[in-house]
Amino acid sequence: MDYGFTTAAYVVAAVLFILSLGGLSSQENAKRAIWYGIVGMALAVAATLMGPGSGLWFLSIVLIAGGAVIGWQLANKVQMTQMPELVAAMHSLVGLAAVFIGYNAHLELGNVLAMTADEKHGLEGFAALLAHKSGVEIAILRVELFLGVFIGAVTFTGSIVAYGKLAGKLNSKAEKLPGGHMLNAGAAAISVLTLIWYFNTGGFFPLFLMTLAALFIGYHLIMGIGGADMPVVVSMLNSYSGWAAAAIGFSLGNDLLIVVGALVGSSGAILSYIMCKAMNRSFVSVILGGFGGTTGPAMEVEGEQIAIEADGVASALDEADSIVIIPGYGMAVAQAQQNVAELTRRLRAKGKTVRFAIHPVAGRLPGHMNVLLAEAKVPYDIVMEMDEINDDFPETDVAIVIGSNDIVNPAAQEDPNSPIAGMPVLECWKAKQVFVSKRGQGTGYSGIENPLFFKENTRMFYGDAKASLDQLLTMIQ
Amino acid sequence: MKIGAPKETFAGEARVAMTPDSAIQLQKLGYDCAIESGAGEAAGFSNAMYKDANVEVLKTGAALFKACDIVAKVRQPDATELKRLHKDQTLISFFNPAANDDGMEAAKAKGANVIAMEMVPRISRAQKMDALSSMANIAGYRAVIEAGNNFGRFFTGQITAAGKVPPAKVLIVGAGVAGLAAIGTSTSLGAITLAFDVRPEAAEQVESMGAEFVYLDFEEEQADGASSGGYASVSSPEFREAQLAKFRELAPDVDIVITTALIPNREAPELWTEDMVAMMKPGSVIVDLAAEKGGNCKLTVMDEKIVTDNGVTIVGYTDFPSRMAAQASTLYATNIRHMMADLTPEKDGQINHNMEDDVIRGATVAFEGEITFPPPPPKVQAIAAKPKDVVPELTPEEKRAAETAAFQAQTKQQVILLSVGAAFLLGVGLVAPASFMQHFIVFVLSIFIGFQVIWGVAHSLHTPLMAVTNAISSIVILGALMQIGSGSFLVILLSSLAVFMAGINIFGGFMVTRRMLAMFQKS
Repeated sequence: MDYGFTTAAYVVAAVLFILSLGGLSSQENAKRAIWYGIVGMALAVAATLMGPGSGLWFLSIVLIAGGAVIGWQLANKVQMTQMPELVAAMHSLVGLAAVFIGYNAHLELGNVLAMTADEKHGLEGFAALLAHKSGVEIAILRVELFLGVFIGAVTFTGSIVAYGKLAGKLNSKAEKLPGGHMLNAGAAAISVLTLIWYFNTGGFFPLFLMTLAALFIGYHLIMGIGGADMPVVVSMLNSYSGWAAAAIGFSLGNDLLIVVGALVGSSGAILSYIMCKAMNRSFVSVILGGFGGTTGPAMEVEGEQIAIEADGVASALDEADSIVIIPGYGMAVAQAQQNVAELTRRLRAKGKTVRFAIHPVAGRLPGHMNVLLAEAKVPYDIVMEMDEINDDFPETDVAIVIGSNDIVNPAAQEDPNSPIAGMPVLECWKAKQVFVSKRGQGTGYSGIENPLFFKENTRMFYGDAKASLDQLLTMIQ
Repeated sequence: MKIGAPKETFAGEARVAMTPDSAIQLQKLGYDCAIESGAGEAAGFSNAMYKDANVEVLKTGAALFKACDIVAKVRQPDATELKRLHKDQTLISFFNPAANDDGMEAAKAKGANVIAMEMVPRISRAQKMDALSSMANIAGYRAVIEAGNNFGRFFTGQITAAGKVPPAKVLIVGAGVAGLAAIGTSTSLGAITLAFDVRPEAAEQVESMGAEFVYLDFEEEQADGASSGGYASVSSPEFREAQLAKFRELAPDVDIVITTALIPNREAPELWTEDMVAMMKPGSVIVDLAAEKGGNCKLTVMDEKIVTDNGVTIVGYTDFPSRMAAQASTLYATNIRHMMADLTPEKDGQINHNMEDDVIRGATVAFEGEITFPPPPPKVQAIAAKPKDVVPELTPEEKRAAETAAFQAQTKQQVILLSVGAAFLLGVGLVAPASFMQHFIVFVLSIFIGFQVIWGVAHSLHTPLMAVTNAISSIVILGALMQIGSGSFLVILLSSLAVFMAGINIFGGFMVTRRMLAMFQKS
């Protein structure tokens, strides 16, 4: 097959990928759109195997098949609540693959440059491509593959740390080595120096040194970011994996890689932006980790937290006409989404209006709650965005907060000194009655006291969300 | 001052604007009362009864108009009556100002003040003078009675020695004042009563009257009636379809249909189509209270009762209140009396036409030689507080100015961004070779497409988006595939690993996305 065919296949694949992303504009279209993505990928891989990648194609197919078996297993076994971890872990694979490909490009480049003109003539595939490059082009190639390796390495360790934090294998608190951001800055400086070094010499050592620095940056940067900021981190890593693919595409001269890398990169960037906006924080402050400095002492919280038992909640629900449920990460942790869905079904069967209010940053990755509720077969037309439902709270009889904290914190609006001041929150305290299902009296992730728990119309329904709801379900028939 | 009520000139109109009882109340406000001879006859109030109540009985309408400072009427005045108006006289009557320019011009020319009873704002304070409601109440009651009159069976179900009688099934369309009155009458007669209204908040009122509310299988949010003064607004075609489908389902079952659906200043919507009439059982009755505005059923003939080929009686009378003249006159006269009480805060028999008062201002259509219709919106909000704060309306000029400013700011921002971007690109182009620029164009355009496409992604699909972008970012597999066949053992090893990992990612990513998307479902 000649080169023209491959390019044609790449064009079709690129269009399919764009359609695949664009199709996510609605739930119904999305089911079709995913097939566009799958066909696009199959086409791209097949065309590459037949065209420029035809060497050792049998080995390639065996490896892909092996990867397929593992990927298939993973995807089918994973619990919906573990979705964030899985996505983070898979980002690390892309990152590592990008590092390897970058190294290969470097090795090939070395081989080709060492050849004589006659030998170059007989080359095929990627090596042939390299052989045709002029001096300037080779310099650019070095920068490109250097960038590809750098971003890939940051993505790799970053994603592994994010995975560890999401899976609970690492402490989800923001942690930094002594030296803090200076270490990151130092590592970044080393990377820049090695870039210049590599640019001039083309040796392997600077590339390797930079890789180590980049791996460290990925690790340390993400370690310094707390659990609640994970939605931003995961979408940021998503973006990085795209940019890494694009950089690799440049160094290999492959337009499809560039297109897809840019699509994924911009997608992740937009998601990060949306998440940051939802938390009213700048991207930089999220990346630098922890919460920004406050300007004064936090408002004193007065009153006490009043506990309530399941029967009290049951009778209040019995009397209520309109109910809004606000799920958070706690629901995901307790795997309580099935119970929530069952509660919803029973209440709806009694003719009550039950809706869900989803804060844009509820959970640990964008749209986390939607996926969990969908898994539990909660119809998506009663699941509302913050903006859609915030005005309805004054007419709501009962608001149930299940495992969320900061996203329902009135301090964001009332206390200008609060670390989360100005962040848009769900105004559930305006409902006639609020029940908060929570494990204990402690503060949430951010360590901020939540005045909601002390409000007069708030009752604390202590206990593991799943156990509490189980108890509640026995009382609501 | 003297207040008087003439005999109604409209053919068949039996009501009168003043009863002996209301006259006594008016006298307590300090007014002298007068009545045209025989004005109350049709409603059962004789001249003698008025005389007993100290009401002066005048021979003719002309004399009454001449003698009185205030004239109270029921029906919209005709040309002769308008001619009889004189300067500073106050006329209180139904006036239909929206379609009675001639009447208002005449009043303006004469310098008379006109209070139109149908213009009384629908606010709590003005309910006591809301004649539309009191008349609608009668119409609703009478509609059921009229239906019963034409219906050959009991309303209530009975099991007797002579056999079992099934209860009648009554459907009432439109749960306004007339509809609710009809519901009350129908349920108290023992019929199974169903009711429908386009305003969802009516369901509670319907159920409180003992009827069953007919719910549609329709999700669209209907406009709250509170925003339009308690009246229904025009509904969307989809909603209408759902509504008609529901009615078609009910048509074969119901014995009596009473339609009361009116939209202010519009022809009555067609709600009971001919095919529904055809589906009904012989002997069924339709009472169309919207007959005056064209009818909710197109077969309705105004002011007449017809029987269709399949034996369905359709009643299109428009004079239900007049058919209960004694009751209607009592209520209407009381409304007038309350209006007079508001016009006479000092109870000294002198009118104080206070144009600052929301109710009086709203109802006045001609005042001191000026036409004062339509009235400004009332200062006090109608019926219920609106559920949401409305952003203050900007004038068209302000809006345009704001839009222009925003547009200019946007243009400026875009021009700056574009020029910086272009300068950067040119800078790159100066040093980079053509082969690089080729790829660079692709890169920049792809970022653009990415930005355009991703903004459209639904909020709830952000997780699937991450999963799918993760899956397609394993496109790096192409790089590894290209390298795997050329080079040393090390290259083969590294690219094999890359192919393997990307393989995991491709299948894992797409599978997970499909699993997630399969879970999204509508209720």
